Amino acid sequence: MNENLFTPFSTPTILNQPATIPIILFPAMLVLTSKHPINNRLATIQQNLTQLILKQMMMTHNAKGQTWSLMLMSLITFIAMTNLLGLLPYSFTPTTQLSMNLAMAIPLWTGTVMVGFRFKTKNSLAHLLPQGTPTPLIPMLVVIETVSLLIQPVALAVRLTANITAGHLLMHLIGNAALALSTTNFSLTLLTSTLLALLTVLEIAVALIQAYVFTLLVSLYLHNNT
Amino acid sequence: MLSRVVLSAAATAAPSLKNAAFLGPGSFFNHTGLGVPLKTTKRIRASICTIITCRVLQATRTFRTGQPHLAPIPPLPEYGGKVRYGLIPEEFFQFLYPKTGVTGPYVLGTGLILYALSKEIYVITAETFTAMTLIGIMVYGIKKYGPSVAAYADKINEQKLAQLEEAKQSSIQQMQNAIDMEKSQQALTQKRHYLFDVQRNNIAMALEVTYRERLYRVYKEVKSRLDYHIAVQNMTRRKEQEHMINWVEKHVVQSISAEQEKETVAKCIADLKLLAKKAQAPLVM
Repeated sequence: MNENLFTPFSTPTILNQPATIPIILFPAMLVLTSKHPINNRLATIQQNLTQLILKQMMMTHNAKGQTWSLMLMSLITFIAMTNLLGLLPYSFTPTTQLSMNLAMAIPLWTGTVMVGFRFKTKNSLAHLLPQGTPTPLIPMLVVIETVSLLIQPVALAVRLTANITAGHLLMHLIGNAALALSTTNFSLTLLTSTLLALLTVLEIAVALIQAYVFTLLVSLYLHNNT
Repeated sequence: MLSRVVLSAAATAAPSLKNAAFLGPGSFFNHTGLGVPLKTTKRIRASICTIITCRVLQATRTFRTGQPHLAPIPPLPEYGGKVRYGLIPEEFFQFLYPKTGVTGPYVLGTGLILYALSKEIYVITAETFTAMTLIGIMVYGIKKYGPSVAAYADKINEQKLAQLEEAKQSSIQQMQNAIDMEKSQQALTQKRHYLFDVQRNNIAMALEVTYRERLYRVYKEVKSRLDYHIAVQNMTRRKEQEHMINWVEKHVVQSISAEQEKETVAKCIADLKLLAKKAQAPLVM
């Protein structure tokens, strides 16, 4: 099925029709919404988790920053579900595509920058110069800070893409190695245990979502409050 | 049902639209203020949301051809159906039981797997090892942490139920307390006559005391008046007596002349000598 290493990352097709959009929309079906106050265990745990993450993330913001809660919560849920579903065999992970991650990162980053410049222009411009720099260095430092600001969306997107892709690729490679060595059958157990360890580490792909949203969150925080 | 879902979606979209009010291009106009404060624009947006939702629901009415439930639908089951090995429902095993007994589904499963493998319908690739490892980790994780997570979820549900129950019980308790207090008040009104009797007695005693006090005062007043009259009478009599005595003495003294005085004094002396002799005589004896 996977004749080379690129096939897991190519556009998924169902009967030669691109199936990307249904695959991207699929994790939404797994997030339960319920109007009952008391649900079954799965819904309760999901609700509880969402509440926990929401409280954790949105406590540090003022009222203005908290208007972004829905956006950020759906972001973290989407990325987490997508990444976790991508761990399953024979599945396609949309977040391995740079196009999608850029499409997520650039609008959100631009939104935070614009909010900051719109409502707190002086503060946002003041962030382009760190405190306590000696006067001759100021022009250079402003340029450097601007560049570091402009590179934020690219960094966000590329970080997510690279991490997920690398993880998937590594799993494929180690699987291939295990397959090839299974005929000789002596280091199979060693490799399977390595694969196992890598998988557990890869399930900290969910931590990457945390990193993603936190980075975004930090930038929003800075822009809005200080 | 669909309308509820769409309305709830619109309701959740309304705050997000409110959020988007900052991100959307309209936010610039809203903030620069065409004379309209931001809160009213938010409200206008929310109301516009619901209006649009209602319009959409009306317009798409022809597409919703299923019968809406006019009666209360039965509640959802509390626990899902029983499942063996996490994947295959129990009903499948029950379905095959009459024909193939207990081992039927297992033989079927094994046969299918071996068929797929031998005919290379399922090819063993690198993904197979990934799948095996992943399934191993998942089974291990579920077996180890499943019960505790389920207990945690149950605890959360229990807490919610307990809160609601607590609210209900406290309101029932309040009503009960109010009823009991009302009953006790009613019982108290039955015993009010004791209070009235005591008050009546008190008043009667006070009246009696006042009456006697006044009586005594009257008596004392009358007596003092009478005493005054008696005292006046006594005083006049005494004065008369003294006056008479004084008058008599004065006249007697006036009437006694000097000679008579000498004679009487000598006679008194002679009498006294006689008396003295008489007194000495019995003594000697």
